[in-house]
Amino acid sequence: MKKSLRSVLALVIVISMMALVLAGCTPASTPTGSTTTPPPAAKLKTAMVTDVGGLGDKSFNDLSWAGLQKAQTDLGVSAKVLESKQLADYESNLTQLASAGYSPIFAVGFLMQDAVTKIATSTPNTNFGGIDIFFADPIPKNAVGLNFKEQEAGYLAGIVAGLATKGNFDARLNAANTIGFVGGIAIPPVQRYEAGFVAGAKSVNPSVKVISLYAGAFDDQAKGKELGLSLISQGADIVFAAAGQTGIGTFNACQSSKKALFIGVDTDQYMTLTNPGDTILTSAVKKIDTAVFSVVKDAVDGKFPGGQNKTFGLAEDGVGLSPYHDFDAKVPAAIKDAVTKAMADIKSGAVTVPSSLK
Amino acid sequence: MSEATKSPTVDAWWMRLLTTVGVPLLSVALAMAIGSVIIVFSGHDPIAAFSALLQGAFGGWRQIGETIMRATPLMLTGLAVGFGFRANLFNIGAEGQLILGSLGAAWLGLLLAPLPPILSIPLILIGAALFGAAWAFIPALLKAKVGAHEVITTMMFSWMALYLTSWIVSGPLADKGGIPQTPMLSGAVWLPTFDTIIPGLPPMRAHLGFLLALLVAVGVSLVLRRTTLGYEVRAVGFNPSAAQNGGISIPLTTIYALCISGALAGLAGASEVLGVTHRFFDQVSAGSGFGFTGIAVALLGKKNPVGILFAALLFGALSAGGGTMQLEADVSQKIITIVQGLIIFFVGAETIVTWFIKRRKRLALEREGATNA
Repeated sequence: MKKSLRSVLALVIVISMMALVLAGCTPASTPTGSTTTPPPAAKLKTAMVTDVGGLGDKSFNDLSWAGLQKAQTDLGVSAKVLESKQLADYESNLTQLASAGYSPIFAVGFLMQDAVTKIATSTPNTNFGGIDIFFADPIPKNAVGLNFKEQEAGYLAGIVAGLATKGNFDARLNAANTIGFVGGIAIPPVQRYEAGFVAGAKSVNPSVKVISLYAGAFDDQAKGKELGLSLISQGADIVFAAAGQTGIGTFNACQSSKKALFIGVDTDQYMTLTNPGDTILTSAVKKIDTAVFSVVKDAVDGKFPGGQNKTFGLAEDGVGLSPYHDFDAKVPAAIKDAVTKAMADIKSGAVTVPSSLK
Repeated sequence: MSEATKSPTVDAWWMRLLTTVGVPLLSVALAMAIGSVIIVFSGHDPIAAFSALLQGAFGGWRQIGETIMRATPLMLTGLAVGFGFRANLFNIGAEGQLILGSLGAAWLGLLLAPLPPILSIPLILIGAALFGAAWAFIPALLKAKVGAHEVITTMMFSWMALYLTSWIVSGPLADKGGIPQTPMLSGAVWLPTFDTIIPGLPPMRAHLGFLLALLVAVGVSLVLRRTTLGYEVRAVGFNPSAAQNGGISIPLTTIYALCISGALAGLAGASEVLGVTHRFFDQVSAGSGFGFTGIAVALLGKKNPVGILFAALLFGALSAGGGTMQLEADVSQKIITIVQGLIIFFVGAETIVTWFIKRRKRLALEREGATNA
């Protein structure tokens, strides 16, 4: 009895404290909401919602944000980012931005497909872009899916790796004629990188052995390192990781073992990794920032490309290969020429890179 | 004279109230205070930040719905972990049991969709609870038979759950399209949201899982207080050797307690799948770790079902308000993670706080004694 009385009293105290805090704070929020000066009618308010990886992933979240920031500088739009901490945040973040008048709003990452489809349908006057999201039919008129031909970037990386593993321009290159691939989670974009990488390597080195391993996570550096070491022990002297943060572990495996060179993914990882110069050969890049910027530009021009899934490949300057940086002097001209030729062939349509392993 | 004999019990009563409610409240207040300092150092206004947070958590029906929706799985995992605590078991692997429960719900949801909802939804919930209980059973058995510590085994089982389901959603149960997720469940097995039941409410995401969590809290309370099993669980938790001398089987009680804990975690997963995501994703609780946050909720709620409900609402409110805080005050949501971490830290440091309260009381008594003398 006494005990239950105590809990009731406890409840009352907690509730009244909460009410007090609420009462004390609510008035203060009114000025907060109105301190931002209303933008001129013509000025677009753009925004994005990150996936649970958040900003600082040095991958698609950061790249999308870079695209919005460029739009902010070059096009005079405003830009806002909301980070998601759990899956449930996707829908509420998109809802909040839509009701605050932001448009276009970018949903970053394939996990947001359900949420952005639902909100785009329920708020038809707000435009949405989905990074790595392939909208199912019927595509809402106010939504555009932005997808990439990762296989084409992977193909170029494969050509570099396939030729380099036969070469001897670095002491770490062995005679095993083996290269490795580390994937984060087996989702379509990662599988496209893998398919292109294998095809590219085989196109210049038909007998090359490509070993692929998947970590099952984009944020598990320990696993990435373990997989990298495993590939190295199987003779791989060049490892391409399309695995987000997991790939940082793979890079560390290559660097610390001094037995393999590394190929980065999505961004030019020479710029984002710590002291990568001695290990990173190049990166297969996916220019999400360019794609985001182009959509904002279209929106500013009043031509938001809604109701479709857009695909960005080499021809659209949506994917590519980063510079060789510290390896630029060492990489033989034969490799550089092969890459240049492949780029021309893909752009002209003479070569079509497979998007899945067959 | 009567005054003197009465006062110690009243004092003790107040003392207990202070430590029951005071410690969690003080922890939350301290965490908010330190959070504010961090916000100031990051160059933002903490008052604006926290008022935006409150606005986002309670500022309207939709926002209250968000808070409730986010609190729901935490209530259930908090109750799960709390139930384990009562038997002196630290079910650190509620996460794994939740993942299995989620998968079970997604699978049964696909199978049972043709049945009428009144039949299919309870069956799915029971099934998911069994999935969670089954995932806790082996660690429970290991603990009961050979004394393998449940912190190690349930944790290991969480990893196994993660990788097992990761394979299942990209293989046997994969949706078409290559994304690691199960197919979307038919609307018939969704737990309805409150706005579809109560006319006049704006669209919101809070769903019937919240009522389920409240019912479970009442149920757990009744089991603990009114049943033999509850008595045995508390006895084993309070003093194992005395319980054993009293004729209670410790191994059996351990198995029951851990499996019930697992069942509750499984229910949390089912409520999330049927009420919010409507399908199972690889890493369904990614970023949030409902199972792990459940530990913090159980600790903050002092292992008491009512306390756990409030602790879950607090964490739900922090989570719901985070987006608004970032939108209106430009403060990163990571600050929320820091505040949550600090709350857990201070609750963990309860001994220090309790000591501090007792010391003040002792000093006050001494002073009183001094004046009386």
